[in-house]
Amino acid sequence: MSDPKLVDRLERERDTEPGDHKMPGTVVLTALLLLCFVVYYFANWKALADVWHVR
Amino acid sequence: MTSLALPVGNFRTGEARTCDTTGLPVCLHAQRFIKLNAVCAVVALLVGAIGAILLGLTRWPAVHLLPADWYYRVLTLHGINMLIFWIIFLEIAILYFAGTTLLKTRLASTKLAWTSFLLMAVGAVLTNITILQGTADVMMTSYAPLQAHSNFYLGMILFAVGALLGVGNFFACVWIARRDKTYQGSMPLVAFGALAAAIIAVVAILHGAIALVPTWLWSLGLMDAPDAGWYRLLWWGIGHQSQQINVCAMVSTWYLLATLTVGAKPLNQLVCRSAFVLYVLFINIASAHHLLVDPGVSAGWKIWNTSYAMYLAVLASMIHGFTVPAAVEVAQRKKGHDRGLFGWLVKAPWANPGFSAFFLSLIIFGFIGGITGVTLGTQQINIIAHNTLRIPGHFHATVVGGTSLAFMGLCYYVVPLIFRREYAARALCRLQPYLFGIGIVLVSIGMSFAGSYGVPRRHWDVEFSGAPFAKGFDSGAHVMLGLMGIGAVLAFVGLLTFILLTVHAVFLGKRNEGRAMTAW
Ligand code: HEM
Ligand SMILES: [Cu+2]
Repeated sequence: MSDPKLVDRLERERDTEPGDHKMPGTVVLTALLLLCFVVYYFANWKALADVWHVR
Repeated sequence: MTSLALPVGNFRTGEARTCDTTGLPVCLHAQRFIKLNAVCAVVALLVGAIGAILLGLTRWPAVHLLPADWYYRVLTLHGINMLIFWIIFLEIAILYFAGTTLLKTRLASTKLAWTSFLLMAVGAVLTNITILQGTADVMMTSYAPLQAHSNFYLGMILFAVGALLGVGNFFACVWIARRDKTYQGSMPLVAFGALAAAIIAVVAILHGAIALVPTWLWSLGLMDAPDAGWYRLLWWGIGHQSQQINVCAMVSTWYLLATLTVGAKPLNQLVCRSAFVLYVLFINIASAHHLLVDPGVSAGWKIWNTSYAMYLAVLASMIHGFTVPAAVEVAQRKKGHDRGLFGWLVKAPWANPGFSAFFLSLIIFGFIGGITGVTLGTQQINIIAHNTLRIPGHFHATVVGGTSLAFMGLCYYVVPLIFRREYAARALCRLQPYLFGIGIVLVSIGMSFAGSYGVPRRHWDVEFSGAPFAKGFDSGAHVMLGLMGIGAVLAFVGLLTFILLTVHAVFLGKRNEGRAMTAW
């Protein structure tokens, strides 16, 4: 457990912080997730198209 | 902001203590019920785990352990003990924690808590006995006209009523906290998430009652068989919505563990809270994805429910999936772990099982559970995936790699903070989330790809041995089933390790009363 007690953190939870939030790593992780989704989703539509012919 | 050393709130003398580690007030009555429910949860987890390894070794064709009747019996046992008893006992414990400690209020009613607990415990025992007697091989969905012995349904109904009373007690806590103004401003985010889960639980349990009470009466011979299509529609009203309760509880757990382990705090209250509201509003509709090949409902109904409305609930998960790691990143960077894109992640406390369980849960849930879920829930794609192993492949990433792993992480704090006992064998504790996490990823991937080869779920023998002509699956499918089997062994070892460590800590662990818990 790091220094300030949880109770203080929960009190401070409501403090508004200036816009110094930097989260580029999370943005990259999210982009990676979307990329994986696109690949998997597309592969599934392809698999469907292979068995379900539209004539 | 000042530190609050004494239990503030509406506690009666002698009925509360201040946590030596967090400084939060703990209602002693709530503490008792948190303990009771958590212990029952772990017992159910043990029963489910024994089922898990037996199933894993049966679905692995090279081993094919159980005979057919026991496969279905154990499948029922595993599904119900894991998905219902383990998860819901722990969720009720979470509600008692969020409803009292986080709101600085006392437990609303001890009598109600006892009634709830006893009903749940008796219900769980009754259902389990009925399953093991071999008179309820109907699997957790118990689709009519499959019929189990009446005690199976009775046990489930008692359990559900008990859970509903627990949820009611939580609402009462929220109410007296507001009345006595025990907290300022809006309630903390974790409590808000628990409230969202509790609201969904009420709707879910009502659906369950409407589905199961007539089915119970039918099993007693007092009514005609319920309509099969009607039963499925209503059953998924509880079956799917309880998954959303799990997601809410898991996300709340993520926020809590992020705070406890790296000191993260929510970045934007409004956004996080709105996401919980989206769950409450739209999740009901998404239950339709379980009926995508059901002849009883129209194509229009399926398309509307799964093409538009579902994505609003998905949106909520995507919001949390972003804000939770973002909060961790911001907190870590503030501490100076600021190198490059991922320095914050590399320097995260990976040896703290509370953190590793939480972050692995986030990754498994998002990358495997989320992606497969949205894909399977697409009406057209569902036709090539329905009732294949892809379905358990998906939910072993959500409710197992996601929720269950997050709950294990939570236990690494609940035991020292609420039971006030320390975990022993710390190195093993640190290893455990990885064992379980890696195992369940293999299970999930193995199942998913075996399912893509067409291997069905809930099927005892995919080799069709003894069939008049040879029929079976491609060797690729066997590789995937083998992967699943190996993963099952790993995950089982991880699960058993968790159970042994936790049971040991709860009953024999070193007491830490009067001082802060030993930091992970
Ligand atoms: C060691 C960990 C686990 C392993 C190896 C495992 C393995 C399995 C296997 C092999 C099946 C059978 C799939 C089939 O034949 O159709 C199954 C079904 C299932 N599992 Fe697990 N599981 C584990 C943990 C869990 C947990 C923690 C939960 C819930 C929280 C869970 C929920 C379910 C459900 C709901 C079913 C479906 C039952 C049915 O079809 O009626 N599992 N699991
Ligand atoms: Cu669902």
